[in-house]
Amino acid sequence: MSLAWQFYVTTLLVYTGVWVLGAWGLNLQFGTAGLLSFAFIVFQAVGAYTAGVLALGPDTGNGGYQHYIGGYALPFPLPLLAAIAVGAIVAVPIGLVALRRLRSDYQAVALLVISIIATSVASNEPHLFNGAAGISLVPHPLADWLGVDLLTYQWIYVGFVFVLCLLAWFFVHRITHSPLGRAMRAMRDNEHAAASLAKNIIALRLLAFAIGGALGAASGAVLVLFIGTWAPSAWLYPETFVFLAAIIIGGSNNMLGVFIGVLLVPIGFAESTRFLPAIGHPGLIEALQWIAIGFLFLIFLWFRPQGIVPERKHRYSRDGHLLSVLQELIIRFRGGPRPVPQERA
Amino acid sequence: MQFLGPSIGFGLVTASILTMAAVGFTMQFGVTNILNLAFGEVMSVSGFVALMVSRTGMSIWAGMAVAAVFGALLSYALNRAVFVPFVRRGTRLFGMVIVTIAVGLIIQNGILATTGPNFFSYSVAQESSYNVGPLILTTSQIVIMAIAVICMLVVHGLLRYTKLGMAMRATATDSSLARSCGIRTERIVDVAWLISGAMCGIAGVTLFINTTSFTAATANSFLVVIVAAAILGGVGQPYGAMLGALVIGLTSEIAASFINPSYKNVVAFVILVVVLLFRPQGILAEIATQREVTA
Repeated sequence: MSLAWQFYVTTLLVYTGVWVLGAWGLNLQFGTAGLLSFAFIVFQAVGAYTAGVLALGPDTGNGGYQHYIGGYALPFPLPLLAAIAVGAIVAVPIGLVALRRLRSDYQAVALLVISIIATSVASNEPHLFNGAAGISLVPHPLADWLGVDLLTYQWIYVGFVFVLCLLAWFFVHRITHSPLGRAMRAMRDNEHAAASLAKNIIALRLLAFAIGGALGAASGAVLVLFIGTWAPSAWLYPETFVFLAAIIIGGSNNMLGVFIGVLLVPIGFAESTRFLPAIGHPGLIEALQWIAIGFLFLIFLWFRPQGIVPERKHRYSRDGHLLSVLQELIIRFRGGPRPVPQERA
Repeated sequence: MQFLGPSIGFGLVTASILTMAAVGFTMQFGVTNILNLAFGEVMSVSGFVALMVSRTGMSIWAGMAVAAVFGALLSYALNRAVFVPFVRRGTRLFGMVIVTIAVGLIIQNGILATTGPNFFSYSVAQESSYNVGPLILTTSQIVIMAIAVICMLVVHGLLRYTKLGMAMRATATDSSLARSCGIRTERIVDVAWLISGAMCGIAGVTLFINTTSFTAATANSFLVVIVAAAILGGVGQPYGAMLGALVIGLTSEIAASFINPSYKNVVAFVILVVVLLFRPQGILAEIATQREVTA
């Protein structure tokens, strides 16, 4: 591969990882727990700013051209971990405001409104995160310590994002396949029934918000540490719809499906149109992309509302253990005792 | 306090536009229970239709009439061609929100693709301004307020004193009960979309007159304010929407002159969030019930 291609491919892979992390976070909130998390992009933004200002030095550096809170120049894993923690913490007030006894469409609007309030405040208060200009010159993590050239660094970062995605997959998989995940699905399918079985609905919702928010924040942190810059115009509320499109098209509450959705919608669309010659007025291609996303929504909700890879029905062995895809296939292949298809409480 | 007079004037004009939009939005929502997030885009298209009419040399008020008819027909067509089939196919509350978002994306970017990222404005005749007490208003602002008052009186008369209005209220309260009482709810739903679309068209044109220059995205950013006004009063409650529009219109304009113009809508949204915290069903609604969609 030529150098330019390597830069392009590594950047694309990092972006894919960022989208996947975020989409899994939203999927936990929306797909598993059934929460209409229309403010999801705020979590990504919060994570990005936290990681950015913690990794940056004091804001008097570089001639003091930007202002922000923090500036502690913390060593690498700390900004990411802090971003994850802050994402989970921010989820609690957002969840509390939006989820108090509201009907689902009110929740959606309340969260949409919170998302807009957050963007307005961040862009109009220059002393918070430098206003609409956002923060820039965030240093690459461990760049000095590794001491490699930029291209090698990009490949190392790809590996790091890959490991992070594996960890996230393992983490979310454990949650959705645990009693906690089962309670969340029960809440999604019938809130009152779940409550009548002594499931604490408020606690479940807040937990789903917090875990999803932490993942969203992690995705923002990974992105800002890679590209080094972040501004309010990057997290306007329609961005949440792109995440939602990926989830609905790929398959709600199915991590493989969401991954495929990410490959198709944000990555596939943005990249397949990148090499088109510039036609018409500026912004025409972007407008056409959004039109295509709109039609994709309609086509999928009409023909395949469950998405490309639908949610998997959990199957259990005779002695009550949850079967993995592989075990299920082996049982099928051997023709042994059929697994029990229904969900057990 | 010298800004208070003018900002109340601006607030009343914004509230007038917002009232028409929010009442249209909430009447349709009350009857069908579909949260129509494509409403802002129908406003947009209607506004651009009025622009085309006014470019042929007719006055913008004639354009507004055309836009009202166009908005009504477009809303009706969207319901019949898109929303009803999806409901029949079994798409439920949240799915319908996504469907309307998708329709909105298609319409908004369709306009953007045809018009380009340009600013447009209506050619309104030279205006004189009047001092009304402490307020200073231009001719078109006074006309907008008059149109809003007339619209509200018509809606009030329709809902209170006609059989159709009674049938609409009945369908909004309980559609299956209304159907078993012999009300043709399908027809009521059609009428609700037509009325809502007409008010949407008028609101779109008045919004564009009031913002002086507009793009394909202007009405879309106004949509959240409309939904906030509707929810503040209690969704499905036309009188609540009027109240919500007044509160949000006035506070946003007063906040714009006293705090910071960029916080115009933020103050209104904060009010919405606070109201939802203490009165989740909105100001006027008795109780917030979770119902299914009617189409």
